[in-house]
Amino acid sequence: MLRMSLLAMLAFSLCQPAAHAQMSHHQHASEAACEEAILRCASKVTPAFAPDGTLWLVWMAGGQISVASSKDEGRSFSSPVQVTREKLNLDWGPDARPQIVIDKNGGIALAFSRFRDKAFNGQVLTTRSADGGQSFAELRPITSSNESQRFVALGLDADGSVFAAWIDKRNRAPAREEGRKYEGAGLFFASSKDGGASYSETRLAADNTCECCRLGLAFAGAGRPVVVFRNIFEGGVRDHAIMTFADPATPSEVRRVSHDDWQIAACPHHGPSLSISPAGTYHATWYTSGKARKGLFYARSQDEGRTFSDPLPLGRSDRNPTRPYVLAGPRGATMVWKEFDGEKTAVNAMTSHDEGTSWSKPVVIATTTDTSDHPLLVSAGQKTYLSWMTKADGYRLLPIGDGS
Amino acid sequence: MRRLLLAAIFLVACLGAAPGAETPSELTLKPFVRGSWQDVLRSHAGRPTLVHFWGVTCGPCKVELPLLGQFMKDHSEIDVVMISADLVPNLDRATRAMLEKAGLGSAENWIFSDGFVERLRFEIDPAWQGDIPRTLLIGRDGTVTTIEGSAEIPDLEKWLIQQKATKK
Repeated sequence: MLRMSLLAMLAFSLCQPAAHAQMSHHQHASEAACEEAILRCASKVTPAFAPDGTLWLVWMAGGQISVASSKDEGRSFSSPVQVTREKLNLDWGPDARPQIVIDKNGGIALAFSRFRDKAFNGQVLTTRSADGGQSFAELRPITSSNESQRFVALGLDADGSVFAAWIDKRNRAPAREEGRKYEGAGLFFASSKDGGASYSETRLAADNTCECCRLGLAFAGAGRPVVVFRNIFEGGVRDHAIMTFADPATPSEVRRVSHDDWQIAACPHHGPSLSISPAGTYHATWYTSGKARKGLFYARSQDEGRTFSDPLPLGRSDRNPTRPYVLAGPRGATMVWKEFDGEKTAVNAMTSHDEGTSWSKPVVIATTTDTSDHPLLVSAGQKTYLSWMTKADGYRLLPIGDGS
Repeated sequence: MRRLLLAAIFLVACLGAAPGAETPSELTLKPFVRGSWQDVLRSHAGRPTLVHFWGVTCGPCKVELPLLGQFMKDHSEIDVVMISADLVPNLDRATRAMLEKAGLGSAENWIFSDGFVERLRFEIDPAWQGDIPRTLLIGRDGTVTTIEGSAEIPDLEKWLIQQKATKK
């Protein structure tokens, strides 16, 4: 059954119309197919399902952030609503993307970052819609600090509050003034009790983390956010770490996901992904180029991140596997990542029905012949979907086998 | 003869199209596209060459760039190729400013100019996922030494001494 549905998906992906001919020549150098604010021109698209089954997308295109919704699994969309009121220098870092959460009443909270100056210092901006996405409040910075903030992640807690974590450089200047060496940036967080209209005072969760990678955010139950991030361990080793918050205001200890031993003074631009199953299993995926191992890896933890399983390598090492993403749905866990064969990018998928102990063989579920966004997973009810923006073929939402 | 003339016309056309070619003082930033990597390898074959991948938004790059500028100044015997490998090639001005400031205006400068960066990177090294800075030291015999992250200048000096030792 699983194999059949994966095959059906492959056939579907091959039937997607190629849009090369429609692209004008001057777009060749751009990662976007066009320059307007519409979905077809987006470089980053983030999905979320509302409790009523409506798919919402937030995207970045033409220097604007917009949203639209679909009630037919992405086949058609509502008229887009522009969130930004002017063209902004949006953060185009490979790991930056707009964030969206939708609460049980249909309220929508958004967050994204822009470059605020010529030195590429970031600023996280937030907004919310209280009318089901018809209009959005004026953009507000998530913090009053003017130091660089990037890679915000938003998550919806069980009580409807919004938890936000991001990478923030505010501790750098004071350290340097005191003559102390300061590496990387801090992992900071805040939360919102009013659906993303305003956020609590910003607090530090962990200092000296990697400054240029996306975060993975999930919940280990009500009021217990969990963040996986590329840390900077002793000796400049940029391996992954995880933190399970005691409550949304109380960070706890930094635990290590694996000992890859990647000592590098560089921006890997390649952050992790995290999902927690209803049974409490932490599923983490990441990229490393360490002395101990190189490539994409998966590991799971059944003791809140105290210990992780031996890292499982993902993908073909001669096909440059990148951008792993994991989602634990009600009917099993799914992982996707990209591979590149020199001509085309393929999204590979595999599934697990035993809390990540064993996984199906990887299957190619979609391909494209030009640049593409990260492959993301999103679930609604019993279904899990691949959400993937591509320059050549536009936006795709593909159902992944239900595993029955 | 005709072929030569055509080649000359092509060359002039290319130079004319290069940004900043009108003002001799301004550095030339060549568009790095599909196939450019083979051009770089061909044009420096047989010469010790330092190829450095960097980007304007990369923090460690800001620190390393002036050091490389000084290294280039101290060692005219090697070729220095700088390739801006940021994701979006729309930062021409910022790229130029950083190169000039670091003393790298006279290096051979390129900027990624294809939205399909995965393909560009795959041509250079299929294992490279885009982390910058990254330095490739290409020896006289074509041997490539890859340095992930910021390069240490003493390591570059050591490589240079080895290169001098292999010179006939």
